Amino acid sequence: MEALKIVDPSLLGLTSEQYSSLGPYLWVVGGSLLAMIFAVVPFIPARISVVCIAIASLIGAVVSAAHQITADRTDLFAGMMVSDGYSAFFNILFLATAALSILASVRYLEKQKLEYPEYYVLMLFSTFGMMLMASTLDLISIFIALEIMSLSAYVLVGFRRNDRRSNEAAMKYFILGAAASAILLYGTALLYGSTGSFLITDILARVTTKPELMTPAYHLGGWLVIVGFLFKVAAVPFHMWMPDVYEGAPTPITGFMTTGIKAASFAAFVRVFISLGYGKDIEAAIGGRLHDVLWVIALITMFFGNVIALTQTNLKRMLAYSSIANTGYLLVGMIAAPHSEAGYAPILMYLATYTVMNLGAFSILSVLSGKGDTNLNLHDLSGLARRHPWLSFAFAVFLFSMAGIPPTAGFASKYYLFYSAIQAGEIWLVVLAVLCSVIGVYYYLRVIVYMYMRENEGLEKFAVPALAAFSIAMMVAMTLQIGILPSKMIAVTKKVVAKL
Amino acid sequence: MDISPVGFYLFAGVAIACSLLVVFKKSPVSSAFSLILVFAAFAGIYANLAAHLVAALQVLVYAGAIMVLFIFVIMLLSADEPSFDMGRSHPLVKALVGFFCVALFVMFVWALKKSDHGQVLVGPYSVAAVAASGGNSKVVSQLMFTRYILPFELTSILLLAGIVGAIALAKRNLGKEGK
Repeated sequence: MEALKIVDPSLLGLTSEQYSSLGPYLWVVGGSLLAMIFAVVPFIPARISVVCIAIASLIGAVVSAAHQITADRTDLFAGMMVSDGYSAFFNILFLATAALSILASVRYLEKQKLEYPEYYVLMLFSTFGMMLMASTLDLISIFIALEIMSLSAYVLVGFRRNDRRSNEAAMKYFILGAAASAILLYGTALLYGSTGSFLITDILARVTTKPELMTPAYHLGGWLVIVGFLFKVAAVPFHMWMPDVYEGAPTPITGFMTTGIKAASFAAFVRVFISLGYGKDIEAAIGGRLHDVLWVIALITMFFGNVIALTQTNLKRMLAYSSIANTGYLLVGMIAAPHSEAGYAPILMYLATYTVMNLGAFSILSVLSGKGDTNLNLHDLSGLARRHPWLSFAFAVFLFSMAGIPPTAGFASKYYLFYSAIQAGEIWLVVLAVLCSVIGVYYYLRVIVYMYMRENEGLEKFAVPALAAFSIAMMVAMTLQIGILPSKMIAVTKKVVAKL
Repeated sequence: MDISPVGFYLFAGVAIACSLLVVFKKSPVSSAFSLILVFAAFAGIYANLAAHLVAALQVLVYAGAIMVLFIFVIMLLSADEPSFDMGRSHPLVKALVGFFCVALFVMFVWALKKSDHGQVLVGPYSVAAVAASGGNSKVVSQLMFTRYILPFELTSILLLAGIVGAIALAKRNLGKEGK
């Protein structure tokens, strides 16, 4: 028997294009390593140096990711990773999420007496995992990226160690997250066993050319992978971890998770979803049943999230349920994508606007919260508009946007999403989705009623930290900008999904 | 690839029986010891598949290093007695959980039995080919540093994140009094 040629010489080094397309990742990893060193350097206060390093590395990464949006696709590491417009779009989204969450965290941690540099280091690691989720193309690397992202998040959720709710949330998240990872991993193993490849593009190509490969084991693997992702995006009935985790986590981390982790899970989900053959001509994977199952899951997710959110008086919990409802809208987009003209672009648009408005809302909650995450009940906001007119205005803009009222970003992206679903012929689903979002209007506007129309009996006047004020103002501007002139954003999202 | 059925069923049976013990044993120490047997049985299956390097690593890393850490932690925390009462779950919940477990098991058995394994594509790394190219260790390490370099490096970052997380959780006086 002849010896195999194992070492592929082209894999022994990187070309200069490959190096430059790895730029954003190197910035973030480099930043986190440097932050770890500076956390223990004497004479320089770690809480200042680590924040500065984290922000600087995130900005560097955004700059190096920005030119990749229009650049050509670069394959890395034998096709295991790719740098294209899609990954660049999501990278910028995650980097901005991390930077804005850090700005909201600085004073929050000071207030909670939690100023420890590990917080920022873990946030950078989690961001790195998210970026890889959007750019890796093989199932092993997707799994490891998911673990890097989640492992850091488990610790961040439990960062308020002296708070029982935070401990419980971390434990719950860890155990259920591990179960979800196990399901995903089992599905991966079955897909590999039945097709012989880990690369998601390869799997699609192989089952397209050789349909006999779609054995029952392949179908089971595909379903398990889908269930694993539905767990991560918290679709009903796999949502039970979410409200407690979001309530127990430190407030800026809740914002970071509802936007970053959700967007990252969807980024990987979309890639895997496409590779399972949904909407292709081949009678692939799970065939028409995937459509029906997702249809039902999307509907109960929207309905359940909105109805339970109605009864919540704690703002963090309310936004957690609203985040479940938003997962439902995004699933509507997934169902419709292959059959509509815009494809997956509305999902990207929705994720981007959701990130902006939700991060804004959570930055405001971080400013409001007292020691031990108190002061986050609805009645604490009574009459807030009289003492903090600008803060209330910003919060009102975010809430209007989440309710989907023009001229905010939430309206534009929801319109775009539902429009593409109508194009795909999902009339009933859109009707029900719109009804669900009308339920949502009630609890979003209730907060505004409390802020503007109630007696002056809520929180005392407090100082709004400058960093948080800066990031909130930026997000208000973006919410209104995308709402009034959505066409630029739509053009970008269309372009990046074109070559998916 | 031929695998001796006797060896497979022996090791797989031990693995399943010991996994059940891990779940059902009340004391954490005996659960941990059952887990060692599970890992050892896996090593047997790998050896049966002629993956001797993986079998050796399984014993060294899992049954050796990781399990020792597990047992140290259990003993240091003296977690032998539960610190709180778990309460008893409702019989209906138990019945439902049991039903789902059985249903899942039946589904797996059905799917794997129905699948036509003749269709599975055979990769280039047959036993003879690996032996001709210098044996398991050489082939695995060459692959790990070329074809699979990305997952390999990502795993090291994952471990680093785990270490930082462990420090953040275990640090003394975190959040108790401001510095």
